[in-house]
Amino acid sequence: MTAYLLRRILIALPTLLGVVVLVFLMVRLAPGDPAVLLAGEFATPETLEAIRARYGLDRGLPEQFLIYLEALLRGDLGESARSRRPVLEELKTYFPNTLELASAAILVAVLTGIPLGVLAALRPGSGLDLSVMVLALLGVSMPVFWFGLLAILIFSVGLGWFPVAGKGTLAHLVLPAITLGINATALLARMTRGTLLEVLSQDYIRTARAKGLAERVVIFKHALRNALIPVVTVVGLEFGTLLSGAVITETIFAWPGLGQLLVGSILARDYPVVQGAVLLVAISFVLINLLVDLLYAAIDPRVRYD
Amino acid sequence: MTRPWRRFLRNRLAQAGLLLLFLYLLGALFAPFLAPYSPYSQDLRSTYIPPLAGLSLRGPGGEWGLWVSPAFRHPLEGVQVRWEEKYPVRFLVRGEAWSWLGVRGELHLFGVEGPARLYLLGTDEQGRDLFSRILYGIPISLSIGLVAVGIGLLLGTPLGALPAYLGGRWDLLAQRLVDILLAFPGILLAIVLVAILGPGLLNGMIAVGIAAVPIYARLVRGVVLSLKSLDYVEAARALGASHARVLLRHILPNALTPLLIQTSLQMAIAILFAAGLGFLGLGARPPEPEWGLMLARGREYLAVAPHVATFPGLAIVGLVLAFNLLGDALRDALDPRSR
Repeated sequence: MTAYLLRRILIALPTLLGVVVLVFLMVRLAPGDPAVLLAGEFATPETLEAIRARYGLDRGLPEQFLIYLEALLRGDLGESARSRRPVLEELKTYFPNTLELASAAILVAVLTGIPLGVLAALRPGSGLDLSVMVLALLGVSMPVFWFGLLAILIFSVGLGWFPVAGKGTLAHLVLPAITLGINATALLARMTRGTLLEVLSQDYIRTARAKGLAERVVIFKHALRNALIPVVTVVGLEFGTLLSGAVITETIFAWPGLGQLLVGSILARDYPVVQGAVLLVAISFVLINLLVDLLYAAIDPRVRYD
Repeated sequence: MTRPWRRFLRNRLAQAGLLLLFLYLLGALFAPFLAPYSPYSQDLRSTYIPPLAGLSLRGPGGEWGLWVSPAFRHPLEGVQVRWEEKYPVRFLVRGEAWSWLGVRGELHLFGVEGPARLYLLGTDEQGRDLFSRILYGIPISLSIGLVAVGIGLLLGTPLGALPAYLGGRWDLLAQRLVDILLAFPGILLAIVLVAILGPGLLNGMIAVGIAAVPIYARLVRGVVLSLKSLDYVEAARALGASHARVLLRHILPNALTPLLIQTSLQMAIAILFAAGLGFLGLGARPPEPEWGLMLARGREYLAVAPHVATFPGLAIVGLVLAFNLLGDALRDALDPRSR
């Protein structure tokens, strides 16, 4: 187990480094003078000169990368071309809001998706199963931004139950969380149904039933516990995906998170912030994947890594 | 036809998906004929007209039929209809000239005879006919999907197959590359690429396509790894087949089924991502009738004119649903594990 843990962490390291390289190259690959991209379109010649000196833009790419990496390790992500604030400060302001939204969304997905999947799997072929599956199919086919706008139209504009946009009270969180979680909910419902059906057809379930165990015990103690193991993995991965899905949801609901910051920065060509935001989401995603893998190894006794 | 394919065609989900897709293809092929107006022709006096505004079933003399009265937006009082004027709806009428796939014409399936317009799904912020724009948006979304999936397949298959077949250092290297690309979850990779390439429809397609590369690579790698040490592959080598021949003729054909399933599902994802980019202002530019972009426009006047955001979204859902239905049905029919 320890060996596996170490190896898994070792594998994540080059990935993280690759992510940093790609984000570093973003500014160097984009058309235009990197100094202008980093300093903003309206920068004075002095600022441009300062940026060139600071990032060593007159030197070779490998050297530039080392300068970038060294600054990154010190927590220096540069300065926003728009607000002139350090990028790290910007990220610190916006990231917690995205985490809050994504956590609420994954909660919605787990609390509705998994029970729906279980209900469907217990009565395969029934009307309930069919409607859950149709809803789930619609759920994965629906653009998040369309669902969000319809939700605003019905529940905010029409019924007036929730605020249209912004952040503040718990009521502000409801619609964005459901919107962001809709795809994950559908995915979890389908996944839970699939794995549970597979487990229910196994021999040991027949054995459990044959020895006279109550159906409730068979389902919850024998079947569900095993069926949920792969679901846990998906929940973890989906949480990472939600961090990026938040880009669209935050734009709809004017939620002051990382996604809104990212889109606004791309449109304003504020590259230091774009780099920082992308880096933060990607690194979080790699770390979440790592955690999920380790968790998987811990909860599934069948998995032996060596 | 082989049994799996017959099973596929008998599947209700597959039939629904095929029917939906067929309708969309029909709409794309005959867009200028089915659309009463050009997707770009605007009328600033009739912005945000609700669907079917001004339509009545009785003519000026009380006769039955489809009649349209001119609808326009009054700056203060909102939508107004001049009910005293009525013009008949005609089928197969001559209207705005169009040129489509090398064919020129001016015939439209339906239109209004006289100075009024029939807005089946209402108008947008520039008084353009939403129904026409949604029809013209079908080929855009379909080509986004095709180009993106094409890029994913073309780059992803060799990236997955070659290193896996060669093994060793190459496999390790390719795997790290795929891992790095997969570290940007969901739509983020496409957004990163757009940030590099710059916004636009073509760049959006490329970005969504490259975002699909690691997914294809991982899929093909799995197939190649599971097969390359099997006896029949070794037998082919022993008989003197070159590596290229073994890979292309003996191993990769086995990847066709999973690739087909993945491609159908990937079309759905590509269309969703591209619409998402359009919605964020990172994809297609105005005045292109791209659904995501149209939806974004509708967002500003959601309470006044909900139809502007609703119908393009519905169009996206239908097309994405078609590919998801097909992908699911293909998997049920062709994937031996799901039986």
